[in-house]
Amino acid sequence: MKILFVMELRPNAGNTHALVNTMRVADRLGHTIALFGEPRADLPGVRLSTDVRAFDRVVYLFESRIFRVKRLSEVSILATIPRAHRFVLDADAKYHPIEVVDGYDRNYSSEAERSEWLCFYDALSDRILKPSLLPSTDERVTTLPFFGYDPLLVVPPNEAPPKRYDVLYVGHNWWRWKELADEILPGLEKIRDQVGEIGFTGLWWDGPPEDCASFPELEPAFRVDHETFRRLRIHTEPAVPYTEVIRTMSTGRINLFLQRPFLRHVGHLTLRYFEEFCADTIPLLMLDTELAVAVYGPAARELTLAGRVADKILDALQRPAYYHEIVEEVRHHLLTHHPYEKRVEELISVLRG
Amino acid sequence: MKLLIINSLDPHTRSVAPVHRYVAAGKALGHEVAIFGEPNPELPSLPYTTDVRGIDLALFVVEVAWDFPDMPQLAWLLDRIPRERRLVVDLWARYGETVRIDHDFNHLEKLDGHQGWEWLEALQAVSDTILQPTLTPARPEVRPFLFQAFDPKAVARPYASAREAAAAWRGAGPNEKPYGMIYVGNNWQRWGQLRSFLSHYGPVRDRIGPACLVGWDWDRRPDWAVDGGIVGVDLDASLLAQLGVETRRPVRFDEVVDLLGQARFAPVVHRPLFRRLGFVTNRTFETFCADTLPVLMLPRDLVEAVYGPAALALVPGEDLAAHLTDALIRPEPYWEAVLRTRSHLARHHSFERRLRELSAILAETTRRSA
Repeated sequence: MKILFVMELRPNAGNTHALVNTMRVADRLGHTIALFGEPRADLPGVRLSTDVRAFDRVVYLFESRIFRVKRLSEVSILATIPRAHRFVLDADAKYHPIEVVDGYDRNYSSEAERSEWLCFYDALSDRILKPSLLPSTDERVTTLPFFGYDPLLVVPPNEAPPKRYDVLYVGHNWWRWKELADEILPGLEKIRDQVGEIGFTGLWWDGPPEDCASFPELEPAFRVDHETFRRLRIHTEPAVPYTEVIRTMSTGRINLFLQRPFLRHVGHLTLRYFEEFCADTIPLLMLDTELAVAVYGPAARELTLAGRVADKILDALQRPAYYHEIVEEVRHHLLTHHPYEKRVEELISVLRG
Repeated sequence: MKLLIINSLDPHTRSVAPVHRYVAAGKALGHEVAIFGEPNPELPSLPYTTDVRGIDLALFVVEVAWDFPDMPQLAWLLDRIPRERRLVVDLWARYGETVRIDHDFNHLEKLDGHQGWEWLEALQAVSDTILQPTLTPARPEVRPFLFQAFDPKAVARPYASAREAAAAWRGAGPNEKPYGMIYVGNNWQRWGQLRSFLSHYGPVRDRIGPACLVGWDWDRRPDWAVDGGIVGVDLDASLLAQLGVETRRPVRFDEVVDLLGQARFAPVVHRPLFRRLGFVTNRTFETFCADTLPVLMLPRDLVEAVYGPAALALVPGEDLAAHLTDALIRPEPYWEAVLRTRSHLARHHSFERRLRELSAILAETTRRSA
């Protein structure tokens, strides 16, 4: 099968890396996956194509905004790929009622905004794919984990970069603040003098994007307490391209895994669930135990952070061998239950209908 | 026939005038003609619809990229109207290799964000049948369909004879015809030809009357063109001042015929790209509705093929000033040419005829696909 993904191409954000992985594994299985666009030097390993006629399925992967291609490209895609062969991959759970999670994270700011999205989805396709393990009662929705684990991406200890940080978070400041403020930062504060360097790598830790003022409803998404960061001596670093994410995570003895509250609430997976276990690090997970076990297997109970941030970080720093064994157990579980080959086969099966 | 026209209509430019005439002519012939989209308060007489059920023919009239509707309407259209019921009429030569003539072009990414291949692929994706308003399409798979047409009912003063027309024209005072020449059209790829026309017009201006240019950007080169380095929106302000040329802002499509009639002469010019490709425009035909003497600044073979042989009398030779002066002195033969040409256009290039041509093309494409 030849599948064209239409999505925003971003080297340091979004789902580009997931698609690179899917593409690579699909090649091995005899399928072709490409992203719509012209070749770009900043997207190594990405197969890009504008030859719509060469594909028999198209998947619109939507993230936090309605991504549009140029008008004539839109015409070519819609006129070439029939509706029955078009799908929407709803990565940011926009095909969902308005909901506010943790009192601040919301999928829409208004019903008008939601209507605009739904109108767009309705126009494109009858089929909505959701990257989740949970089944849906909506007959339009097919749940499809989509993201997976590729052992070829694992960084072995002898090839890992030097450890710069004891505790590292690699990810953007995008609806993460409350979790940080309520649990992570107070936990770090308790043990700050017993921990080495702490780093946060990603977009918007030093300030929101320039055009943020035009979207006041997004203010909480970018909120950050610079004074606390300064007091806890947290280094902030810019975002890295997708090719460097796993190696960058490998510069931390411990990596924190935080998922946007809304996506966690609706049970969506992201690539980060799996990238964490490719890095040479100890991932500590801000996930409910039930969800962590569902994805990672029973060994993941030892890696959850909720309610015990300080203790868990200190324990992992003090007993790395123990935790690395747990990481290996999780990797084994991921290889059994979430290999990328399985993800690609599931995708092909759904797109075949 | 239930005909749906898809085009981004603007009261001041592009295809708004012929689309109105298609609606009227279609109604007269018992067709149902509608425009795709939500009603436009600036064009209240046009029947707009987004209901595409039962459409016999969707005619995509393409000049600019946004002639294709925005989402979600674009998906509705393409999903609900079968391909064999869609035709594309490519009015600006988008379907073809990228062509540069002087500084005119059919594709320019820095102007509209699209490259030549994108135009080709998009139009091919919409329909197997691409029509162009030329008698001689450059590509073998393109069918000639002029789209533009002549509406005899729109003629401002339908004279019974050349003598009557010439007398009225000659007798018109400065209130009726304040201008010697007028060009109504936007400043886009026309300046080279109009500069030449105006330069030759200068010596006879005092005798014939002032010149006037009506449309966007005749007063100065716009910032977007300067900033983007876009040529084709050119003018020579000092030449216009020296020749006393009046410039006016654009008028609505339904004021054009009357405005043209305020001048004794109205040049018909085709932009360099269209001259090369033999494309016609709305103004090719509409100028013959006005109470003015058209001056056909066009290749003679095109004039003869489209307007008929009588119109050759309206093509100035090398000496434009002599042509205009002669018409001023003895207008009757020129009006005779105009009336004969109007008659030719009414017979061969009416909107009713265009609708019949469209029906035939549709019948052929549906037969072929069946």
